[in-house]
Formats: sequence, structure tokens, C-alpha cells
Amino acid sequence: MDLLLAAMQSGAASLASYLAAHVLLCLVPAFFIAGALSALVPQQSIVRFLGPDAARWKSYSAAAGAGSLLAVCSCTVLPLFAGIYKKGAGLGPAITFLFFAPAANILALSYTGVALGAQFAVARIVLALCFGIGIGLLMALLFRKAEATRRAADAGPAFAGDGGIPARNLGFLLALVALLIAGTLKLDFLNAALFSFNLPWDGRAVQATLDRWVPANPATGAEGLSLQGLLLIGLLLLIGACARRGLGKVDEGFNRWTPAALALTALTLVFAALALRSTGDQLLLTVTGRTVAVAGLTALLLPLARRFDAWDMQQWLWETWRFVMQIFPLLVVGVFLVGVIRLFIQPEWVQVVAGSNTVLANLAGVVFGVFMYFPTLVEVPVAKMFLSLGMHPGPLIAYLMADPELSLQSILITTAIIGKLRTWTYVGLVALFSTLAGLAYGAWVDGAAATTLLPALAGFIALLAATLYAIERQRPPH
Amino acid sequence: MLIKILGTGCAKCQRLEQLTREVAAEAGLAVSIEHVREMDKIMAYPVMSTPALVVDDVVKSSGRMPSREEIADWLGAD
Repeated sequence: MDLLLAAMQSGAASLASYLAAHVLLCLVPAFFIAGALSALVPQQSIVRFLGPDAARWKSYSAAAGAGSLLAVCSCTVLPLFAGIYKKGAGLGPAITFLFFAPAANILALSYTGVALGAQFAVARIVLALCFGIGIGLLMALLFRKAEATRRAADAGPAFAGDGGIPARNLGFLLALVALLIAGTLKLDFLNAALFSFNLPWDGRAVQATLDRWVPANPATGAEGLSLQGLLLIGLLLLIGACARRGLGKVDEGFNRWTPAALALTALTLVFAALALRSTGDQLLLTVTGRTVAVAGLTALLLPLARRFDAWDMQQWLWETWRFVMQIFPLLVVGVFLVGVIRLFIQPEWVQVVAGSNTVLANLAGVVFGVFMYFPTLVEVPVAKMFLSLGMHPGPLIAYLMADPELSLQSILITTAIIGKLRTWTYVGLVALFSTLAGLAYGAWVDGAAATTLLPALAGFIALLAATLYAIERQRPPH
Repeated sequence: MLIKILGTGCAKCQRLEQLTREVAAEAGLAVSIEHVREMDKIMAYPVMSTPALVVDDVVKSSGRMPSREEIADWLGAD
């Protein structure tokens, strides 16, 4: 009974500290960006570079771009993958897209950056880009004969593809991204205190209760819950209540809940960017550079939004809410379960298997990633748990690369579209490259100097370029 | 008039079907609306992204949600 209670408490504590610490300044703007990418960026603007006759370098970079800009949820990945493969640029770019999309979309990246640290987010995007294009090229090279016959037989009608991204859409997106960056980046001028004042209210009793419910434990990486965190969770629930009607039904027209939900969201973001600390019998409220930046950017969004048609804004808010409903419940359950499981995993096990940067440890990370299927984004709290339990960053990256790319589900889908042989070749390549990625990142963390790693990386890129050139030459003239 | 919605069952695709039905009903048009969900059949059209709206076998839009006015225009409703 005690064990059950402890497990529940551990789960609830992990959930509470996640909601308070990570969700707000990172995931809330990220969801709005995801909605904007889906509603305000016409797919054609990127897909037009993926036509069957596009130059190779263009189609591979466009496939990577489509991965990070268009594919926020799996329902977009599948049709786009099939489209690129069957109608568009062919097997190579389609594979690049499939590899890059889950690792480099805005939600995954910003969440990784906040929960695990910016260097993991950067490693994730750089390695995914290198290896995504690499695997795409290898696949195109391996199956080039079959590809050539398939293409000759399947000369379908040229697909319509026109349209860029209007400047105001781009400006709006940039403002949202700036908001995300201002809220999450740990820069000195953002953290600097501008002025602060005392609130005459004694928060010690409440904070003591919170510490008892959600004990902080640096050894296991469990974060505590602050008074500010508690208020933020309350605000989140309030937003959820308003947004159900305000954003969920916005496609039928703005209703009176819509401004309420948006104003609450803005208020919550600004409040989350304040620093609130209990000092003796008073509360110290500090306005930092971050507070000003977040408040300014939130205020900037209003005039920018007014330049759009009401329909565009309705689409944006509706898409945002779709993403929240699709991803957030799974994330909440996932974070809770991670908190429960953390109680039962001994740090020694993790340290023995993956405590150092060896080939075996990296392979273990990959194998775990392939056989465990976590819904979108849940791989991040899982990774954080492993990191705090003593997993080496190298194997952790190997796991982070393999988990979203490969799962039983994605293998089945891919088989249906490109066939068994190609799918298993792809699976093998991803496993190999994820292990390599882990080894390289681990070596870099261990201080294996840039002087040895950079030439290795440069050599890899040179190899890619040579392959690209070889394929270009082997293409039959149209 | 034969209208096809190409979509794999994503939220946007359902929404497009609903919107098209509404526009057609408001204009009092006699149309038949078919929702094409099979990937092979979708790929037979010159589209690379869903949802797509096809009016009398001509692709009117793909990869985005058209507005009510655009749909009304394509259906010839005034």
C-alpha cells in the first residue's frame, strides 16, 4: 500500500513540476506555432520544390524543410510521404522527409531544448539533418535501378504546385518564434532583473506544504513545485476551460470565450516570465528582461493578427487547439507514468548498461528506442529520466534519434507504401546511423576534441556530396 | 456536379467535407459529395498533400483549407 502511494505521489509530483516548469513558456507558444504552420503556410509553398524534376540538392533540402515545417502530426506525415514518393521527388527525398519530420518539428525541438538543455536540441537537429539526408541518399543509391523503372512506368500528370508564403504570414510566424525564444532561452539580458518589489504576503506556509507534497530531489532529478508553479497550473486549467469552447469551436466564428482564452494565455505567459520568490514573511516579485520581452512580443501579436482575414485567424486557433487535444493528453499521461516508473528503476542498472559512451551502450539506446513506442513528445520526459539516472549523453542521443524514427507502427506504414525490402533496409540504416550519432555526440561531450570530430563530420559531409554528385550524373536525361 | 474530398481522415479533411456540404446546402445546389480515403485513389489525382477538393475531376485546392467564399465560387453558387 505504501509503495502504491509512493508511486502515485511520484507520478503526480513529476506531472506537477513538468506542467509548472516546462509547459508554459515552451509548449504553449510551440503549440500556437504548430497551429500557425499548419494553417498559414500553404503546403504547396514547400511541396513545389519536391516535384519529380526538381534538382537533387533542392529536393533533399525541401524534404528536410517540409519535415520540420509541415509535419507536426503523424496525419500529415503519411500523405506527404506517399506523395513525395509516388508523385514527387522519389525514394531518397521521401526517406529524408520521413526521418527528419519526427525529430525536427517545432514541438519536439522546443520541448527537447527546455527539458534537456539547448545542446541536446541542437545535436538532435544537426544529427537528424546530416543522417536524414545521408540515409535518403543511400536508399536512392541502393534502389536506383528499381526506381528508374518505376518512374518510367508511372509518368502521371504533373502536379499543380504554386504559391509562396505571403509576407504577413511570415512576419506573424517570426513573431511567434521570437516569443518562444524569448520565453525559453537562457541569456543574461533575459535573466537580468530590472526592478522588483515586495508583496506583503507570507508564502512560507504554502511553500512548506508544496515541498511536502512535491519534494525536490536533485539526486533523481525530481524538481519541486514553487508557489508560482502552483498558480501557473491553476491558470493552465483555467485556459483549458475557456479554450474548450473559445478555441475548439472557433471555426464557426469567434465567440465570447475566444478573447477570454487568448487573454488568459497572454496573462499566463507574462506571469510565467516573472520571478516570484518567498523572502521571509514577504513575496519578492522581480520583473526581468524576459518579462518585458514576453509581454512586448505578446502585445505585438495583436496588431499583426489584425492584418489577417478573420478566416485565417480562425483556422490558426482551430488548428492550435487540434494539436493541443491530440498531443497534450498523451503527454500528461506519459509524464505521469514516467514519474511512477522512475521510482522502480535503480540508477545502477542504467549506469551499467549505458553509463559510458561505448558501442554497446549506444546500441542499447537504439534497441530501447525501437522496441518502446511512445506517443509524440513523450520520448523527451523519458530521456530526461534516463539522463538524471546517469545515462551518458551519447547513448541518450542514440535513443532520441531512434525512438521517434522507428517504431512498429511506422515500420508497418512504411512497408505498405514502399515495400518490405526497402523498409527493412531503411530500418537497418536508421539503427546504424543512430548508433553512430550517439557515439559522435558522446565523444564530443567527453571532450574528444573538435579537432578529431570535425574532420570526421566534414569527411561524412564530403562523402554525402560525392554521392549526390554520383546520383546526379547517373540520372537519365529527361 | 460531382465533388470529391481527398483526405486520409485527418481533422482538416473532415472539416473540409463538412464545410463543402454546408456551402452546397446553403446555395441549394444538387451535388453529390464523395470522401476519398484510399491512398491509391488519392494519388491518382495530381495532388501531393491533403485535404484536396476536386470538383468534376478538376483539383481546386490541395494542402490547405479553402474559405467558404472560395468553395462557393468553385461550386458556382452565387
